[in-house]
Amino acid sequence: MTGPMTNPITGKTTNPLTSPTRRSFMAMGGAVAGLSSMGLAGWAQNDVEIDVTTLTNTTYQTDVLVIGGGMAGLFAAVKAHDAGAKVMIASKGRVGSSGLTPFAKGYFAYDPDKETVSIDEFVETVSRSAYRTNNPVYTRQLAENSLARAKELQDWGFFDTTLAHRPFMVPLEARDIPIVERLMITRLIKEDGRIAGAAGFLLDAEKTVTIAAKSIVLCTGAGGFKPSGFPVCDLTHDGSIMAYEIGAKITGKEWNDGHTGRSVNPAACYDGWGDMFELTPSMNSVEVHHDLGVDVNYQAYMQGNPINMGPGTPPDAEQTMVEGGPVTPSEFQRSGPPAGGEDGSAGSPAGGPPPGGPGGGPEGGPEGGPLGGGTQRGFAMGGASAGMAIHKSEGLVPVDDRCASNVAGLYAAGDALGSHMSGGIYTQIGSSLAGSAVQGAIAGEAAAEFAAAHPLMEIPAETLTTITDEILAPLKREAGYGPAWVTQTLQGVMIPNFVLYVKKQTMMQAALAYIEELRDHHAPMLRAANMHELRLAHETRNMILSAEMKLRASLMRTESRCSHYRLDYTEIDTENWEAWINISKAENGTMQLEKQPFSAWPEQA
Amino acid sequence: MTIKSIHGCIGCEECVKSCPCDVIRMENGKAKITYPADCQICHLCRMYCPVDAIEMSPEKSIPVIVSWG
Repeated sequence: MTGPMTNPITGKTTNPLTSPTRRSFMAMGGAVAGLSSMGLAGWAQNDVEIDVTTLTNTTYQTDVLVIGGGMAGLFAAVKAHDAGAKVMIASKGRVGSSGLTPFAKGYFAYDPDKETVSIDEFVETVSRSAYRTNNPVYTRQLAENSLARAKELQDWGFFDTTLAHRPFMVPLEARDIPIVERLMITRLIKEDGRIAGAAGFLLDAEKTVTIAAKSIVLCTGAGGFKPSGFPVCDLTHDGSIMAYEIGAKITGKEWNDGHTGRSVNPAACYDGWGDMFELTPSMNSVEVHHDLGVDVNYQAYMQGNPINMGPGTPPDAEQTMVEGGPVTPSEFQRSGPPAGGEDGSAGSPAGGPPPGGPGGGPEGGPEGGPLGGGTQRGFAMGGASAGMAIHKSEGLVPVDDRCASNVAGLYAAGDALGSHMSGGIYTQIGSSLAGSAVQGAIAGEAAAEFAAAHPLMEIPAETLTTITDEILAPLKREAGYGPAWVTQTLQGVMIPNFVLYVKKQTMMQAALAYIEELRDHHAPMLRAANMHELRLAHETRNMILSAEMKLRASLMRTESRCSHYRLDYTEIDTENWEAWINISKAENGTMQLEKQPFSAWPEQA
Repeated sequence: MTIKSIHGCIGCEECVKSCPCDVIRMENGKAKITYPADCQICHLCRMYCPVDAIEMSPEKSIPVIVSWG
């Protein structure tokens, strides 16, 4: 394969003399834009760099398998170990330096000796801000356990350093917990109705991996559509999609995280957040907001993108606001100086949530607020975290207060669990990081208990063969769609303001038709030349299914509430929508959606 | 173009391991920017590098899709 069939975005070039190399394509990058120019990069021969027939498999056996190495995974592993289970961690990246954990700098610790509000009052305040979309059981659990987890983190040195890897390794090394890093788990295995293990592949070796486990805790984070301006590009809802495939219920997909990005170099996460990524984490107390962000998207939609904030806008340009759009309860409306003022977080809608940045960092964020950057970094623009819902509110549906899913032996914690701890809106500052710690610990203990009471399930050899074939399929295709091209196509369909943030039926149906096309005709034909591209292929497939979930849930929710805003149903509908939406895979393979009343738990496993 | 250059690499692999998006790989004992299109410009590699060998740029190497464009 040479020349015209080379995929300049994802593929290697076999004949650099006659075809564009990756670097030369990048040089062209500024000159090409839009989906049409990406067309040539879509379908191509697969210049596979690996002899797939020589790939080997490594097997492990454990009581509790923790998938993910962020804040939730850390505590799940530690607490499962301390409860007596044999534990191992599988992480797509490295413990403490992948997912959103490295970028979350604020930790909410409810200290009863210092707080002026009771836990009852705190829970009620969150519920009022969240228009009752939060699950008060999980909101309370956050407050009750956050300080104990903070003290453990303190002991491990977490609050003393910018970079979380070393502090995270302190308790893991002390317990001798085995960790396999740069291992992407793509399949959960269920036998006779309960968890039997998981399977995936290594990035650095030409190997597949199977892990037999009595129980599993998914600490895989949430995800996005590999968006520009928010450091979530390694998270693609892997846990939710794996769990969905074996029968778990998924919730919270209609909500939208509202982090803002910058109009200049919008993909530069670090630059957009100022020096925040270099801060050491710190603790904060009760501070409940109703941080939308989606109101910025509404303003942009109504006034023409990107209102007064786009590239080339003078720094002293006057901002105009139009009426309407996503509603903030009057109690939680911010007052004070206009946007861009002293604390930067005031003057919604321009102030994006949460003020502190990813995971809820220090008040004010970079340069004192989302608008504080002026023209040097560009103005704050909505939609940086496209594809992500609200922290702790999308993911596996819990069937109890211990992070159990409806699949026996399968647990989830942190952003992989749709606990609705915060609700359909980001409420308590710093609760994202704290919630992951709290839920990780609880899920770890619950998974250890389950493992103590159940033997390992045997996984039939033919099942493993089938799964391995499916995992490696993109490497085996002689030709196919480049995962980066399919991802960019998905981004072009899903990320625009008028699809993802300001929703209406006709547009979402149109987007759904497109996503179904990707699901049915592109996902099955993704190609991969090496282990890196194999990862991209699986991530792309996960994003396609997540996009379908987001659209179907958003279509079903015929109201506007919290971070879900519909132009054709602008009001809260308390008569019909005091309910979450749970998504599961029907027997015929289609996505089925059902309401679950706010006050109810689904059926236990 | 995202992660821009690596000069003075001592081969410790910290950047390879700390990159969430698998952008950097080892080649002949040195870190190499291998998949720049996947860089999310988060600077973790630069912050973990013990010898400040990594230089960053705020510009993405492929066209960027934003919600407001």
